[in-house]
Amino acid sequence: MLERFPFGRAPLWLLVLALASTVAVLLTQRLGAAARPDLSFATSASTHMEAYREAAAIFEKKRGVRVSVELVHSRALQTRLQNAMLAKSPVPDLVELLYGDIAYFTRGPLSDVGLVDLTERLDKQGLKERLVESRLSLWSSRGHAFALPHDVHPVMLMYRADILESLGIDVNAIETWDDFVALRPKVVKDLDGDGVIDRYLIDLPIGESWGVLILLLQRGVSLFDEHGKLQMNQPATVDTIDWYVHQVEGKDRIATQCGWGQSLMKAMKDGLALFYVAPDWRTHSIEMEAPNVRGLFRVMPLPAWTPGGRRTSTWGGSGLAITKASQHVELAWDFAKLLYFDRDELGRRYRATKILPPLKDSWTLPELAEPSDFFRGQRIGEEFAKLAPDVPADWATPYKGRAEDRLGGVVLHALEHFRAHGDDGLRALIQKELAEKSADVEELMNRNVLDKE
Amino acid sequence: MKQRGLAPYLFLAPYLVVLLVFTLYPLANAAVLAFQQTNGPATRAFVGFDNFRFIFSDPTFYQALKNTTIFAACSVLVQLPLSMGLALLLNEGKGRARALLRLVLFSPNLVGQIFVGVLFSVLFTARYGLVNRFLQALFGWGLEKQWLQDPALVMPAIIIAALWLYVGFNMIYFLAALQSVDKTLEEAARVDGATRLQVFWNVTLPSMRHVVVFVVVTSLIGSYQLFELPLALLSSSNGRGPDNAGLTVITYLYDVGFVTGDLGLGSAVGWVSAIIIFTLSLLQIRFSGLAEE
Repeated sequence: MLERFPFGRAPLWLLVLALASTVAVLLTQRLGAAARPDLSFATSASTHMEAYREAAAIFEKKRGVRVSVELVHSRALQTRLQNAMLAKSPVPDLVELLYGDIAYFTRGPLSDVGLVDLTERLDKQGLKERLVESRLSLWSSRGHAFALPHDVHPVMLMYRADILESLGIDVNAIETWDDFVALRPKVVKDLDGDGVIDRYLIDLPIGESWGVLILLLQRGVSLFDEHGKLQMNQPATVDTIDWYVHQVEGKDRIATQCGWGQSLMKAMKDGLALFYVAPDWRTHSIEMEAPNVRGLFRVMPLPAWTPGGRRTSTWGGSGLAITKASQHVELAWDFAKLLYFDRDELGRRYRATKILPPLKDSWTLPELAEPSDFFRGQRIGEEFAKLAPDVPADWATPYKGRAEDRLGGVVLHALEHFRAHGDDGLRALIQKELAEKSADVEELMNRNVLDKE
Repeated sequence: MKQRGLAPYLFLAPYLVVLLVFTLYPLANAAVLAFQQTNGPATRAFVGFDNFRFIFSDPTFYQALKNTTIFAACSVLVQLPLSMGLALLLNEGKGRARALLRLVLFSPNLVGQIFVGVLFSVLFTARYGLVNRFLQALFGWGLEKQWLQDPALVMPAIIIAALWLYVGFNMIYFLAALQSVDKTLEEAARVDGATRLQVFWNVTLPSMRHVVVFVVVTSLIGSYQLFELPLALLSSSNGRGPDNAGLTVITYLYDVGFVTGDLGLGSAVGWVSAIIIFTLSLLQIRFSGLAEE
């Protein structure tokens, strides 16, 4: 046969390989289709995985179905889901998205959104009242909820209890940010006399906008309102940036930037800053990544802007959405309810992740009342739950990234100005920059000819 | 005979199908998309040249273009001379030491941009990073420098990381070219009394002109496609850096196309970027005189 093949041996082998790979692909597809689960669920949260797998096993047993739970990196999950929706190729039945990612999927006419609108289900089944309502802001567009909130993420401050005790500072006496700043003379010091400050009050970023955003949310300023209108340029924003600049720059500064990962853990251990902004997810990740600071920290509410004011903010979040392309929407909804509304399941997951669920009736779970060795026996679940009803709304839009980026730019320009000229003209500069940057974001928003329904 | 006439096309068919589906069709689609506005996965509207109008009126695009051009200029003016210098040094050495040095200098390229980005994000950490510790120990200054948070230091940080990554890679090209230079010509020049610099400038460099132009053009193209390195180095700001100090043209494309969700605008940025790269490459080839050859 080899001799009789008209184009020689090499092309024959190429043909054989092509045929063999075609058969292999077809077989793999057929076998894959036979093994396909009834429900597929993709999440990017590695800390949730173990609890989700256990929940999936319970659901499989109860309903006689097969559920697959897949861990995908958040960026890959977002990009792959976008591409799959564009190409109309298969997508998971359920996806757990990160804060901010949903805005892409809810652009355009509501009828085009590739995620199931959960608003009516939440209302009719009485689930909305059971949730911290402000958390739906992260997952809603034009009054329609497209995902269930996984968390509340109230923000507290972690503090080095051992050092503060040795300095004779009582954190219970700190009620406002003014009280907090007044601690500076006692805390901010060059301890070894080498001309470099070795201890600051708090870790706040300079080149990233999260610090200002958390403080703005605490004051009730979300960059966008519930209708998607930009709210960045406000007197409260000017006040907050003005205050912030004075805390992170200049001779009277109280803050340093400790960064992320190893440098943050080292700073915490060294006591470079004594207070750290800490939503529940961060307390847990520090507990996991920095065992050498066990027993050194406790948590306290954020100082308020005015006496009696809000003592918390929020930072981040994830939410569970059902894709419209799912062949089993009702089954997916039942699984979602098990994951997000079942008390036993939430208790198990709290123990694994230390993330406070937004379901208000879960806050009496015994798991939340367990004392934490890491935080000197403090019942941090209860501490976060006390603040959860006060967590502000944070509305999502596709332009949020750009707005956050521009806000960060305003802070940096204000810092440069303060470094060079002090307070002279600082507020005027912040006002001018905010107006310019808002116009810049609005230009991108206004050119959208498809979002005018 | 008829069978023979069909055969070449049959053998070419798989490649042509792949080229059509994965290159030509996306290119054509991107050309159409560049004149549309897209909104989420399902909706499109024709907007004429509005995407291009927006790009050329957006200060962020100019910031991205400026950053990318600075990076490209440093690639050509700093990175390539360094690569050439190392190649010249290694070309003179002999034996195992040369092979080992070649491997050591080339090895950063084996790990890729993401790894280098992550690695340098640790090295550039304020107060605890190796770079800052080194500066403090050597000059008594720099311990608290915020390489990745200070807009003035972000581009230098990216360029330093890229130097570590690419100097060895380009050195390999130059080394290969140096080894193919006709030694008798160099010898003749030396006999005629030329200095080392004169030999290099008048004999060696012209002999390896094709390789130099190739490396310059590929470096320029690579520089204008810079994406992964700043994305990993400045991951907390999605590769943009403080005040967009690390934003590149391709990061801008990713931002408008995949974060904000307007693939039409993203496609328009892609075309603008392709035209810039094409023009620069053409100019480079023209000025180097290769076009006439």
